[in-house]
Amino acid sequence: MTWIKREWTGEEAQEWTKEDVIAWILSPLAYLGFTAGVALTLLAKWPGYILLALAIVFTFLIFWIQRPKLDAASEEYETKQKEYLKETEKMQRWEEI
Amino acid sequence: MVDLTFLDMIWIALFVGLMIALALLFYRLSKRSQSDFFLAGRGLPWWLPATSVYATHTGTDTPIWYSGVIYQYGLAGMWYGFFATWCSISAFASAKIFRRSLSYTQAEWQTLRFSGLGAELSRGWLSGWRAFMDIFTVGWMNAAIYMICNYLFGWPFWLSFLVFTVSVAIYVTTSGYWGVVMADFQQGIFVLIVIVLVSVIGISVAGGPAGILSSLESMGKEWMANPFAFKEFGGGLPLAWFLTMFFAAIIAGFGMGSHTDWYTEAQRIQSAKTLKDSSYCMWAGPALVIIRNALWAVAILAFFVLSPNLLPPNPANPPPLHQAAEMAWYRIGFDYLPEVSAGLLGFFIAAIIGIHFSTVSTHLNLGASYLTRDLYQHYINPEASERRLVWGGRISTLIILAGSFFFGWMMKAEITSWLIFTMWIMMAGTWIPNILQVVWWRFNIKGWLAAWIANMGLAWIVVWILPSVNILSGLLDYQQFWILLALSALIYLPVTLLTKPEPTEHLVRFYVMARPYGWWGPIRKEAERRGLIKPIEKTKGGQK
Repeated sequence: MTWIKREWTGEEAQEWTKEDVIAWILSPLAYLGFTAGVALTLLAKWPGYILLALAIVFTFLIFWIQRPKLDAASEEYETKQKEYLKETEKMQRWEEI
Repeated sequence: MVDLTFLDMIWIALFVGLMIALALLFYRLSKRSQSDFFLAGRGLPWWLPATSVYATHTGTDTPIWYSGVIYQYGLAGMWYGFFATWCSISAFASAKIFRRSLSYTQAEWQTLRFSGLGAELSRGWLSGWRAFMDIFTVGWMNAAIYMICNYLFGWPFWLSFLVFTVSVAIYVTTSGYWGVVMADFQQGIFVLIVIVLVSVIGISVAGGPAGILSSLESMGKEWMANPFAFKEFGGGLPLAWFLTMFFAAIIAGFGMGSHTDWYTEAQRIQSAKTLKDSSYCMWAGPALVIIRNALWAVAILAFFVLSPNLLPPNPANPPPLHQAAEMAWYRIGFDYLPEVSAGLLGFFIAAIIGIHFSTVSTHLNLGASYLTRDLYQHYINPEASERRLVWGGRISTLIILAGSFFFGWMMKAEITSWLIFTMWIMMAGTWIPNILQVVWWRFNIKGWLAAWIANMGLAWIVVWILPSVNILSGLLDYQQFWILLALSALIYLPVTLLTKPEPTEHLVRFYVMARPYGWWGPIRKEAERRGLIKPIEKTKGGQK
């Protein structure tokens, strides 16, 4: 699936891209599928099985797409975290406004 | 009143003892620093804050109001609990931005996003408001546990508070967020097991899926088993209500603070050890919440076919507890578990105590973080030592606890209406501004403050004052939501556009650190011009 980018540099991963938009669309649909799917499955109604299966597939897709990007973004950000923490503590103590 | 066997009491004592003891074990870690007391040192793997999100949002009040809406709307009432969907988007949107800011609290974030006196005003206001809301939340937990203790043992309000809320405060005061999150972990797992067990028993007692469906059919209420049976299609819940919820939840995922649960989640986001862990915890915890909702809904529907004549919530004249629809899910446990096996009732009550502990502990610690970090340290004693700040956290925890006693006393029997007012209506006018502050560089602190001030007044006028003189009376809660959304915009948008934007220097610094999405073009260009961010290089397909 070359349309989905799976290899990221730290700098690239900080940007908002279509991979994020896909997660924003699939995520609420997965939640909707879990809500109605679990309830209807417990009542042994067939639309419940379909909704639940769709929710599971969407969940898999979301994390398959997001994981490489989040890994790269986390690694990139952790290198800067110490410096940012110092800055926020300065603001907290009114050393810098 | 129910009779507990010796085995029941053993289960309850063991579980309560274990929860408090485990949380107390983390005393040494929590006293190291403010960061440990409020964020567990910012080093948690995703599954710990995720279970904490789930455990926190499984409160004693939740099955009460949930039973009320399922009795009224059938499975379509599940959409009342669907607001958790905002987390599914936030996990890959605002959670990342907030995690990058490293703010302890949303109030602190305001001073990173905005500048000057206005930002300080917003920080002071938000911290006070949050402390109040945490007092309020623990207050309604007190009201809910009172309803249960009164039903079970005939206890008065003060006794249920003393036994079940003060005991939580012991471990929160001692072990801070470390205690909260570790206790939440065991409570979350235990409570999930009990919810599954009780729900399965409820469904089975009602004759299984086939029995429930045939009973509903014979009552002429088969629509109750359809989550999409909206009023327009023969059900009870208006479709416009569902669409409002879906819309509000989705856009809230792009903002910060649009929903009251954001503040709880924000603490968990910052306690996760990496950006990835914060995203995962934000997605997984609420996913468990909505699955739990579905389990509850079907079990409550099962109880409905067994006891269809329970009375709906009525704030003006609350029904006696044994006739209240709001007690439906609890009644499955109280009425049927003792018939299944000796000791199961004790197991169930232990889980209810766990549900109460997890929610109360979170809000005691969260409220204390605003009082300590944003009010005490920032405005009173900026040079306070870490030891003093930890003590500040402990004293603040006790302040929240004391305040919650009085709020719980006030709202004892009106949980559902209070909950809908505070979580929906009272936030309506700030819903969009809390998103604009993330997505639009031009939105300034004057607009944000104007929205809050206007909303506080408008919410009371639209919901309470005007209906009392027969103007805008009879509106449903979702209609009030839209009216407040629109009225508030008429105030904060002109205020924003007629006043100056935040200083570019401040916005650039915020942008480089937090990397927000939306309309930040001019700030992005400035950051690139200063060499702080690499320009986006586009090739043919738009791929970098």
